[in-house]
Amino acid sequence: MSAAPNTIFSGRSDLDGAVARAQHDSPSDGEYVVQTRGLTKRYDDAIVAVDDLDLRVRRGEVYGFLGPNGAGKTTTLRMLLGLVRPTSGHAEVLGAPPGAPRGLARIGAMVEASAFYPHLSGRDNLRVLARYAGVPERRIDAVLEQVKLNARADDRSARYSLGMKQRLGVAAALLKDPELLILDEPTNGLDPAGMAEMREFIRSLADAGRTVMLSSHLMGEVEHVSDRVGVISAGSLIAEGTLDELRGRAGLRIRAEPLAQAARVVGELSGVEAVSSADGVLEITVDTLQAPTINRALVEAGIAVSELHAHTASLEDVFLELTTNGDDVS
Amino acid sequence: MTRSVTAELLILRKRAATWILLGIWTFLGIFFAYVIPYALDPEDSPGGVGRFLPESFVGNVLAGFPFFGGVFALMLGVFALGSEYGWDTLKALFTQRSGRLQVFAAKLAALGIVLIPFVLAIFIAGAVASYVIAQIEDAPANWPSAWMLVRAIAGGWLILAVWAALGVLLGVVSRGTSLAIGVGILYALVIEGLLSAFADGVGVLEPLTNVFLRANGYSLATALGASTYTIGSSGPGSYNGPFVASGQALAVLMALIVGFVAFTALKLRRRDVA
Repeated sequence: MSAAPNTIFSGRSDLDGAVARAQHDSPSDGEYVVQTRGLTKRYDDAIVAVDDLDLRVRRGEVYGFLGPNGAGKTTTLRMLLGLVRPTSGHAEVLGAPPGAPRGLARIGAMVEASAFYPHLSGRDNLRVLARYAGVPERRIDAVLEQVKLNARADDRSARYSLGMKQRLGVAAALLKDPELLILDEPTNGLDPAGMAEMREFIRSLADAGRTVMLSSHLMGEVEHVSDRVGVISAGSLIAEGTLDELRGRAGLRIRAEPLAQAARVVGELSGVEAVSSADGVLEITVDTLQAPTINRALVEAGIAVSELHAHTASLEDVFLELTTNGDDVS
Repeated sequence: MTRSVTAELLILRKRAATWILLGIWTFLGIFFAYVIPYALDPEDSPGGVGRFLPESFVGNVLAGFPFFGGVFALMLGVFALGSEYGWDTLKALFTQRSGRLQVFAAKLAALGIVLIPFVLAIFIAGAVASYVIAQIEDAPANWPSAWMLVRAIAGGWLILAVWAALGVLLGVVSRGTSLAIGVGILYALVIEGLLSAFADGVGVLEPLTNVFLRANGYSLATALGASTYTIGSSGPGSYNGPFVASGQALAVLMALIVGFVAFTALKLRRRDVA
């Protein structure tokens, strides 16, 4: 990273071609760029890496594929790219079976750690991939510019830092000017500033019409850039939806004395769907616009209200609730 | 496909190992084919100093191909595919536009092209060495015919190609380089040699020796001018027969290439890329 410029990525400098074909229409069957049905991968008939996975990625969205380490994210992405054969189930990527050349031609991928020929420069590594992909070599300078790696492009990739390799990996994924980008843990090895810029870069790709499927175990990364999120744990998709859908409806949190009486008063009010208490706090599922009404009712009942605020569950709360193996999550 | 082959040639051309192997093979090839034998005792050997002169250089050089050159070609083949697993680069190639078999075909084509300088370098070095000896001995420099030279170069390339194909197979099966090279050299040095030795006493093994790589490689080399004396006295890997007919040798070597390539293609096409 010694030659790292102030900004790592420039997202909109070269978004043409495939992107122009992408649409932001509301999803219909034809608008799903990735669809799987019952996708399953078992190893040695004993280890279930991915279990009966049904997921759909819409055109033009950033789909965050979130799960703890070892949850099956990378295996899923490899199946979508045709690198790993499913044991059973079906997958379709851009209307083609995984691994089919007509599909691959429109996909840019960075799977797990970026891997390059160590004896070749960054530019030559891209040259190899461009030739295989049938992409004009003038694209190389364009993508190097996008990831701001021009200054070190002629150095051997073996001399790159992890962050530079990640950037080269993104450049490689962009070579084909793809409609769909599949990025597996793209911020690995980046410093906090680099991570933020990577997130911004990914968001800009989607804003310009590309579809991005982003796998990560970092909730902040997923939360900041994703339109929809799929949560995978132990090989199974346990939740899928927009961030708001996953977080659930907003509610109110109230700290009051006496708590039991407060719970009874609130529970009798119309519009209140549920009341629970934990650690001396009432958690109420209700339209947050009813906060003044609830406050008034409590005060009129002689209850001392010391705190009342709207509360929305964070993705981390949701994630930890959904997955049992929270220790693996950063 | 052409661009894929040029991509592979770029990978091989810029890899130091390619040039190191070429340099060592050429240097040691000449060292063991000319420098050492000529310096030690040229008068006592069958053919005397004549086998070091230009008219014999084709056979003299070719004698080093079936084993010594084969090991270098084996390593080149292992590096071409096995290194992809070590670097984890295979998945990048497989997720471009090309299908797996097209990637494999490009790698094979590039490997076949890179073998050409391996053959030509040793022939040129052999010609120079034989010419120098002719000058030293004040002997005439009678060169073999162009047709003979072309046949020998093609035969040498075929022998190296079989070994390279074996290296590719071992690299893919073992998903790496170290084990593949170890097993390849073990096969070349020990397995074929031991089984050939046992075959003298165990009749059932005899047909097996007829399809061995070295047996057919040396048989082709002798058909193209290599002397059995040179082949049988070249240290580790030396070979004293049995020899098969040149037509059979040619057919078996080509069949081995097809077999190695087909098996590797099957593995590469079907296996998951982890």
